[in-house]
Amino acid sequence: MRIFVEKKSAQSAMWLAGIALLLLSIPLTASAELGGDATSVVADQARMKATLKTTQSEAYTVHEIQSPSGTVVREYISPAGKVFAVAWRGPFLPDLHQILGASFQPFTQAVQAQKRERPGRGPVVIQQEELVVKSAGHARNFFGKAYLPKMLPEGVREEEIR
Amino acid sequence: MTRRMMRSQNMRSFLSICLFAALFLVAGCGSSPVSTLPQTITGTGMNVQPVTVNLGPTGNYPNGIFTSVTVCAPGSTTNCQVVDNVLVDTGSFGLRVVGSSLGSLALTPETVNGNPLAECYAYLDGTFTWGPVQTADVQMAGEVASSVPVQVLDDAFSVIPSATCAGTPADTTAALGANGILGVGPVQYDCGSSCTGNIPAVDQYYQCSNAGCQVSSVPLNEQVQNPVSLFATDNNGVIVELPAITSPQATLSGSLVFGIGTQSNNGLGSATVVQMDPNFLTFSTSFESTNMTGSFIDSGSNALYFDSNDVQGCPDIDFYCPSSTTNFSASNSGSAGTASVHFSVFNADVLLSSGDAALPGLAGPSDGSFTSFDWGLPFFFGRNVYTSIEGKTAPGGTTPYWAYPQN
Repeated sequence: MRIFVEKKSAQSAMWLAGIALLLLSIPLTASAELGGDATSVVADQARMKATLKTTQSEAYTVHEIQSPSGTVVREYISPAGKVFAVAWRGPFLPDLHQILGASFQPFTQAVQAQKRERPGRGPVVIQQEELVVKSAGHARNFFGKAYLPKMLPEGVREEEIR
Repeated sequence: MTRRMMRSQNMRSFLSICLFAALFLVAGCGSSPVSTLPQTITGTGMNVQPVTVNLGPTGNYPNGIFTSVTVCAPGSTTNCQVVDNVLVDTGSFGLRVVGSSLGSLALTPETVNGNPLAECYAYLDGTFTWGPVQTADVQMAGEVASSVPVQVLDDAFSVIPSATCAGTPADTTAALGANGILGVGPVQYDCGSSCTGNIPAVDQYYQCSNAGCQVSSVPLNEQVQNPVSLFATDNNGVIVELPAITSPQATLSGSLVFGIGTQSNNGLGSATVVQMDPNFLTFSTSFESTNMTGSFIDSGSNALYFDSNDVQGCPDIDFYCPSSTTNFSASNSGSAGTASVHFSVFNADVLLSSGDAALPGLAGPSDGSFTSFDWGLPFFFGRNVYTSIEGKTAPGGTTPYWAYPQN
């Protein structure tokens, strides 16, 4: 079984030793959505036919959801219990509509506005005050992240979301 | 160590020094142009399909490579429609055509359990294509792929299952920027085993009835697939051949050559084979001291997309805008094979303001993770690029691989 550990700030090396590492491995068809409650990870079990692992660190908890297609979705949950970021990587796109939740429509609107300026195909980068989405890759290799800047816990950097 | 490798390393050292100097001398690197590779572009042949870089049917598509595909009713050579302005995409698999571009041509619907089969093909930008899967005979140059499942894009087909097929539909020429997409990438089936299970791992295919469209399992042979893999001969891959350019061009003509090492005009020649990871269709690009393990070559990407701390971004758009054209080097390593690349990054604002279609050195950032280098269309200018197909036999190594002459 693969265990991963979140890298945190310089203090983390010491701190990690004492981290409460909560590792679940339960069959699950689930995903929470960006901006939603962490409880929706379990509540919304209808979909992803997936395995869930949970890692907890100082500033947030990460739910790692591995779907049978091989794609991994990671959901970052704040101490207040909100999903403030999601990241994905794998051979098939996750259902962006599902994992971005209420942010999906602003995302697609921003993409369309960009495409009117310059059509073409490639990665998309949406940087707004309320929403950041970065999506890249090609068939069999997709990766990206989305987060709500105003909900980032203190001290959490974008590079940690991946 | 070969002389070529030494030259390449010397060049890298030179570039490093040059880049370092650029931090102090605004003039920057790039005074010496990247050397042009010797290149032969195949003119004609039964396996040679003309391609053109132009602004596409919407008149504003930069670095799009297009071709004309003849789509026929299965078994017919006369009941056909020529679909022009089809994007040539080595980053996807299968032919997708805008329904209206087929005119009155009727293809053969595919069915599962007697219900018409449809596909929702999602893109990373929140768009998707929707429409029925139908079989067609697909002709290009002198080659024919018989009874190929293709996706006919049509918003009005049945009812789009919006719970699992959401986003912005790209089923029209205006929305797609093309009359279709010709996916000639390194795999035959567009979904593969992830769509064949009783409960498919991926919600991509649907069987549609009066009750609406339900997610459906689809056997491999009914999935949308790379037409090249179904040619009788010359079916193990493609070569995209476009000439070198050093400034924006209104149009650029080249060839899409079918087969690798199957005819006198499609040998590997001086190309170096780089095998890709068969699961993710990637290799590792070593660039600016970073190994970007999720890297790939993709004619359907209209720029080079990579993260860099050194290249100046543009003020208003997500492209790179160095003050002067800047030269770089990188190295691509696969599970077998390594090939160097020297390339240039031009100022994107200057390129795009030209209004031209073929823009050399158009480049921009990726997702900020420094894990992937997307070698889009500018990589193809002046370099014959081979894309072999998984499961086929091709000279030079195990498929799937990419090959190109290193510089």
